[in-house]
Amino acid sequence: MSKTLFEKIWDSHIVVNEDGRSLLYVDRHLIHEVTSPQAFEGLRLNARKVRRPDLTFATMDHNVPTSDRTLPILDQTSSVQIKALERNCKEFGITLFDIHSPNQGIVHVIGPELGITLPGTTIVCGDSHTSTHGAFGSLAFGIGTSDVEHVLATQCIMMEKPKTFEIKIQGKRKNPHAVTAKDIILSIIRKIGTAGGTGTVIEYRGDTISELTMEQRMTICNMSIEAGARAGLIAPDEKTYQYLKGRKYTPNNYDELVNDWRDNLKTDSGAKFDKSFTLSAENIAPQVSWGTNPAMTDDVTGSVPFPDEYGKGNPEEVKGATKALQYMDLKPGTPIIDIVIDRVFIGSCTNARLEDLIEASKVVKGKKVASKVRAMVVPGSQLVKKNAEEMGLDKIFKDAGFEWRESGCSMCLGMNPDILAAGERCASTSNRNFEGRQGSGGRTHLVSPVMAAAAAINGHFVDVRELDLN
Amino acid sequence: MKGSVIKYERDNIDTDVILPGPYLKIHDYAELAKHAMEGLDKDFHKRVKPGDFIVAGKNFGCGSSREHAPIALSYSGVKAVLALSFARIFYRNAVDGAFLLPIEIDESAYHDISDGDSLEVDISKNEIKNLTKNKVYKMKPFPELIGKIIEAGGLFNYKP
Repeated sequence: MSKTLFEKIWDSHIVVNEDGRSLLYVDRHLIHEVTSPQAFEGLRLNARKVRRPDLTFATMDHNVPTSDRTLPILDQTSSVQIKALERNCKEFGITLFDIHSPNQGIVHVIGPELGITLPGTTIVCGDSHTSTHGAFGSLAFGIGTSDVEHVLATQCIMMEKPKTFEIKIQGKRKNPHAVTAKDIILSIIRKIGTAGGTGTVIEYRGDTISELTMEQRMTICNMSIEAGARAGLIAPDEKTYQYLKGRKYTPNNYDELVNDWRDNLKTDSGAKFDKSFTLSAENIAPQVSWGTNPAMTDDVTGSVPFPDEYGKGNPEEVKGATKALQYMDLKPGTPIIDIVIDRVFIGSCTNARLEDLIEASKVVKGKKVASKVRAMVVPGSQLVKKNAEEMGLDKIFKDAGFEWRESGCSMCLGMNPDILAAGERCASTSNRNFEGRQGSGGRTHLVSPVMAAAAAINGHFVDVRELDLN
Repeated sequence: MKGSVIKYERDNIDTDVILPGPYLKIHDYAELAKHAMEGLDKDFHKRVKPGDFIVAGKNFGCGSSREHAPIALSYSGVKAVLALSFARIFYRNAVDGAFLLPIEIDESAYHDISDGDSLEVDISKNEIKNLTKNKVYKMKPFPELIGKIIEAGGLFNYKP
C-alpha cells in the first residue's frame, strides 16, 4: 500500500496500537530549563528514573542572558531554573550543553547542528517549535510538561494519529535573496490561517522546497505550529545527508543509514493526503506582519488593511483585525513601507542560523543603523556565533551599530532581559507577533532577516527586492 | 459541574496572553494563577471565581507548548474552557494533568452564551445547560484518547 512519509515514520515507531491511539517510541528527547523542572520533580516524587538518558539531550536557552556570560545571572528566578536543570541533568545522567558550553544554543538550532536530529526518527521537546526538526524528515512534536515527564519515564508518547496535509510549493522565486524561506512560510500561513493545519502533520513538497538549503527548510518547518499543525515534514534528500555528515553525534554507521533512508524516506507515488494546498512561489513578495497573529501579514508593497476588507464579511475576523490594529497602533491604509520602527531583533529558532546572518550582513555592510533604532543580533547557537565571527560578520554588524549577543531565545519570547518597552515597535525575525510576546505592550512585525536588516538601516520597512543582495 | 461564564469574544487567544512569558519562571501554581489571562484581561484574577467557565472563539490556546497556561487557569478556579476550537498542544496539556476540560462548542452555543450566564456541564451526556437562559446545547464529544485521559483523571492514571 502506498504511504506518505509521515505514515512510514509513524508506523515504524508504534509500540502499542489501539483504535487510532498509539504509543510511539521516541528516538530523541530534547529538554530545556523552562518546561522540564516539574517533569523531573514528578520523576523524583514517584521514584522513577529516566528511561533513556543516552537519548535525552539538554540545553538552556529560553531565559539565559545574552550579555557577558562571565558575569553572574542577575535575574534570580532565571538563575534558579538554570541551576535546577544543571542539577537534574547531573542526577539523572543526561548530557547537558550548559551556558558555558561551546555547543549551547537554542534547542532547535543545536539539534541539527550536532547531528542529534536524524531523518526518519521521532523527536519530542517541551517546546512548540520542535516542528523545526521536520526539515530533516524527522517526525518532531512539541509537547507539554506532563508529556515531557512521560517521555523521560518511558521513552514513549501516547498520541492520536494526526491527519496528513500536503502543501506543495512550486515555481522559481524571482529574487531568492529578497524573497526568503520566511516569506514563503508567512505567505502560506496568511493563506491557510493560524488554524489551517490543526490536527495535521504538514508535508512540504514541490520544486521550490527542493531548491531550499537545509537552513531555509528549517525556517519553513519551524513555523508549521503557527498554522496550528502538530508537525511539519520535508522528505530528506542529498542536501540533508550532506548537512548531517560528520557532525558530533552523527552515528558511526551513517553511510549505511543514508542508503536505507534514500530507499524509504519519501512519500510513495499514489499515497493520499487528507488535505492539500498548492502555492506558486513565483509571485511571492517580501512579507511583513501588521497584526497580532502570523496570518495577519501582507506584502511589503501593500498597506495596513481596513478591517472590513480584511474580514471579508466575517464579523469575527473584522473584530479581530480592529483589535489588532488598535494594539499595533496602526491606521488602515498606511503603506507598509511607511511603518517606522524602534527596535530590530535578528534571532530566534526561526531565523538565527549562519545563512540568516550572512544574508542580513549583506544589507548592513558599510552602513549605519538609523539613529533612533536599537538593533541586536542574537545568534542561534554558540557554534553559529563562532562561525559568524570567523567570517567577520560580527564586525560588520557592530560597525553598523548593532549589538552582537550571546546565543539564546532572547527577545523572541521576552523571558530574559531582552524585551521591548510598552509601545516600542520591532522588526523581528522571530515567529510570533502575539500581544505582549516580546514584552508587555510591545509591537512585533514578523519579517525575514534581510527585511529586519533593511529596516534597521532605514528606520522603516523597504522593498528589499530593490537592494543589491548578490 | 456548575459555574458562571467569563466570555471573551475573540479568536486565537494564545498562550502568551493566557500566561505571559516572564511568568514561566514561577513554579508556585497559586502564584502563577495570579497572572492568568494577564495579557488580555488584567482584571481576570479579581473577577474569576472557583468553578467558572471561560467561553471563547476559535483556536483557543494557540502558540507555545507551555503547560503553565492550563495550570494558571486551573489554579485560578477555571474548571473548563468552552471554545469553538482549540490548538492541539493546549488541548492535550489541559487534560494531561487533569487541569481543566477543553470543551468544543458550536457557533450557535457560542453566540447564545453571554458573560455571567450560569452553566451546568455534563460530559457524560455531552450536554451544556444554560441555567440563566434555560437552554440546552450539545458539546462536541471528546476524541477517544482525550476522553480516556479525562476519565482516568490525567495521563499518569491512564492505562491503555
